Amino acid sequence: MSQALLARPGPCLAATWLTLALLLMGVVLLSVLLGAGEVGPSRALAVLAGSGDPEARFVVGSLRLPRTLVGVAVGLALGVAGALLQAVTRNPLAEPGLLGVSAGSAFAVAVALLLGASATTLRVSAAQLGALAGCLCVLSVTRLRGVGSDPVRLVLAGAAFSGLLGSLTALLLLFDQRAADEIRFWVIGSLSGRRADDLLAVLPGLALAAAIVVSIARPLAALSLGERVAAGLGHRPGRVRLLVIVAVALLVGAATAVAGPVAFVGLVVPFAARALAGPDIRRVLWLCLPLGPLMVISADILSRLLVAPSEMPLGVLTALCGAPVLVAVVRARRMPIL
Amino acid sequence: MSLFPLARDATAAKRAPALPPPSGCWRLAWQRPGGGEASLLITRRSALANAGLLLALLVASGVYLALGSVHLAPRSLAAVLVGGGDPVARFMVIELRLPRLVAACLTGAAFAVAGCLMQTLARNRLATPGIIGIDNGATAFAVASVVGLGVSLAPPAMALAGAATAAAITFGLTAGGGSRGYRFIVAGIGVGAVFGAVTQLLLARVDMDTANAAYPWTVGTLNARPAGALLVLGAGLAVGLAMALQLSRALSLMRFSDAVAQGLGSRVGCRRWQVLAVSVLLTGLAVAVAGPVGMVGLIGPEIARSLSCPRGVPIVASALAGALVMVLADLLGRVLLAPIELPVGIVTAVVGGPWLLWILLRPHRSLA
Amino acid sequence: MPFTLLPRRPLLVLMMTLLTTHAHAHSVETAHGPVEVASDPQRVVTLHEGALDTALAAGVTPLGAVTTRGGDGVARYLDDYLDEIAIVGVVREINIEAVLHQRPDLILAPPQLSDEQYALLSRIAPTVVPPAQGFTREAWKDDARLYAQALGRAEQIEAAIVDVEGRAAEMAQAIEERGIDSGATLVRWMPQGPLVMSSQLFSTGVLAAAGLEVHDGGLVPEQAGHSDPLSLENLSRIDDDWLFLATLNEDGEEALAGARQSPAFERLAVVQRDRVVSVDGQLWSSAQGPLAAQAILDDLERVLLP
Repeated sequence: MSQALLARPGPCLAATWLTLALLLMGVVLLSVLLGAGEVGPSRALAVLAGSGDPEARFVVGSLRLPRTLVGVAVGLALGVAGALLQAVTRNPLAEPGLLGVSAGSAFAVAVALLLGASATTLRVSAAQLGALAGCLCVLSVTRLRGVGSDPVRLVLAGAAFSGLLGSLTALLLLFDQRAADEIRFWVIGSLSGRRADDLLAVLPGLALAAAIVVSIARPLAALSLGERVAAGLGHRPGRVRLLVIVAVALLVGAATAVAGPVAFVGLVVPFAARALAGPDIRRVLWLCLPLGPLMVISADILSRLLVAPSEMPLGVLTALCGAPVLVAVVRARRMPIL
Repeated sequence: MSLFPLARDATAAKRAPALPPPSGCWRLAWQRPGGGEASLLITRRSALANAGLLLALLVASGVYLALGSVHLAPRSLAAVLVGGGDPVARFMVIELRLPRLVAACLTGAAFAVAGCLMQTLARNRLATPGIIGIDNGATAFAVASVVGLGVSLAPPAMALAGAATAAAITFGLTAGGGSRGYRFIVAGIGVGAVFGAVTQLLLARVDMDTANAAYPWTVGTLNARPAGALLVLGAGLAVGLAMALQLSRALSLMRFSDAVAQGLGSRVGCRRWQVLAVSVLLTGLAVAVAGPVGMVGLIGPEIARSLSCPRGVPIVASALAGALVMVLADLLGRVLLAPIELPVGIVTAVVGGPWLLWILLRPHRSLA
Repeated sequence: MPFTLLPRRPLLVLMMTLLTTHAHAHSVETAHGPVEVASDPQRVVTLHEGALDTALAAGVTPLGAVTTRGGDGVARYLDDYLDEIAIVGVVREINIEAVLHQRPDLILAPPQLSDEQYALLSRIAPTVVPPAQGFTREAWKDDARLYAQALGRAEQIEAAIVDVEGRAAEMAQAIEERGIDSGATLVRWMPQGPLVMSSQLFSTGVLAAAGLEVHDGGLVPEQAGHSDPLSLENLSRIDDDWLFLATLNEDGEEALAGARQSPAFERLAVVQRDRVVSVDGQLWSSAQGPLAAQAILDDLERVLLP
């Protein structure tokens, strides 16, 4: 089935893809070299060359490298999830963060805190479950089938759902000032202090999602031609949709579990990918692979440098980058229906 | 209440005998000072609905004044209201509960009318100012003021400025409006999401006391609200309500497609901006008093619509229903867990939540 | 903060002379101007943790108080001094009706009280609001003296403050004599990294009085309670002789366990020498007053001078 994905990239797409991949490698290198601490690029380079002092080795090997890897995984997951969601809902605004994922995750964390967990020991699974539940809830109540005719409805439902969960979170926190104080640091996504273990914990989910994506790329492309065409080509639209939802939930859940809610990546990345590759979902997915990590890691580098020696949460930066893209989508002469 | 001016032209009225009113309506006719007759059609169902809502609001207000962390017997409440009663009860009713009741009524009415206008415009029940991020703008600005980002304006003024800014950015980005104001709504959600992120960032950077001081502006409460902002809201609500009534005829046409509305003589583009402006104004003023209690903008019009005549745009009924919802919600918040108070924004959200889910789960119906 | 302290002392003396001459009522200088208070208030409501602490230290049991941050009732360290007290709201949301229900003759309010709330409360009973001083080590003494004046118990609180100062000085001497390392940092651990608490708080002020040299790594901005979450790459800035880890949890060990999951934290010299002390955040990061100071000194004595 991977042939379905590999068959397509033409010479033009391959060139774009390679350029992006090179850019990504450059950004990854920067991410290892730069940080909020005193270990500067030269000391970090020495570590990469195999020497370097213990302090620099620790900072590069135990702090910067893991968070860069986590950043790559988060970018991949969110970018692909956004592209899938937009393809299946035929709605360029469908973005995991706008669909109640962040709110669901914050709500789950609040519940966990109330049940006695502490922000410092809280396992990421709570956030993951909440993100999953939020995403599934909005997607199921808006009934994917009807959304194609009304691209705004999904976004409105997501916003309404987020508002509701936000208030419930506030209600829970009313009774517990400790949780109220700690959750301030939980509701914005960040890559700080993430370890390779965190990544390993979500790898099975990511692998499963990748398998699903490879298997449904071709039917999904057919689905974009219309349900009858897809059925005529021998695909089952209902089953494809279901699989996409499962994949999206796995991807978004994994990303939220390691990094917390990171807004707008799933909107910006597919938008850029479509601009570069056109509407074919397979080509878009190809470009999402380098573009997602590119965005997340660039934002993370900025988050480390802007307010050093402290760090700014990643989620704030992606939200600031994402808003103009949202506006661009809206300003497009007519609401594009995929 | 939908007011359809039937016959403005005095000569026409003189020439033809008055038509019998359509079924389900009352015809209210009077002599104009300059001679001739003017008349109004009043939908019977809407009039009854408004009367019922007003009655319910009065009863709820009475209960609101009597109950709280300390309950008053009806007799002592009555004694206070006619100017007597013991001083503590008097202080409690006149100084604590009455201003709060007024604030609840005014903010509830403002939120609900704003919601009703925007819902009708977008033909979508979910499109209320709270949900499309105007509240978020207000919250972000008020929180910025509380955490002291070098601004000297008081939080209520900042909340108003925030609502205006969020709306202005959204207006600016969507010049042209798009069909049914959809573009406005979607851009609003995006702008709101950014303001939400800014609020989170601000709150994550300050110490606990400051975060506590900002708390009312993040949930919405009626506890000890600034009197100045309330006065401004009162004036603004009077103006906004008058404008909303003025626009209600154009709005009732807007429930049809743009082409039909234009064919019926409505300047659709112009009216659309006016409706949005009134809606944002009312929301901004109400948020400056109570903080983000956006859910009332969803629940109030929904109640009003289910009670009133389906043909009109229930502006007055929305105002009454919004005030009623707000009064009842704040009453619940004060009584449920006394002596701990639940902020009214949380009560409305918890009550409105299931409602919201029901709207989402129902098969899609247009507002027409 | 000598600028705020100096003009206050003569005022205090003036107040005390006034007290002895006019037994029926006295005036207290608050953030909202002079306030007339009955000479021996019986029905006191405290809306501030420092006010509750001060009242109890002065031998007055308030009728009502707000909950501590992170709990359903008043702070745990006050359990010994208090049997029962009506809760009149949480710090964020004072229930004015509940205050009125206590029919207080004196309300002791926090410096952060909003003007709208003051307007209502001051009509219920004389409301004493200390002038806001921002974060200074000595502000709690000024607050306590003001509350004590309002309670008509200035001598008791002056004595309690002298007690605290004396005990802290003794401990400072003992620490110096025994040659105990005196550098200390107070942090709260968050998932993104530690919040370094200001060295100008009540609790860090008590540490300083007891002879510890409190550092904030130069990270805390002017007039802020704590820093932004510190990047893990810069954790060496909190590597001190002693690291106090505050948590609002019942169980401080849990916060310590959370911090220990971070390899950057484990590398710190202070951790490897086992000189991390988890402390009760209710006491260390939100309380203030003479009783709280004694409780912090108890903690310190247990750890440093066993």
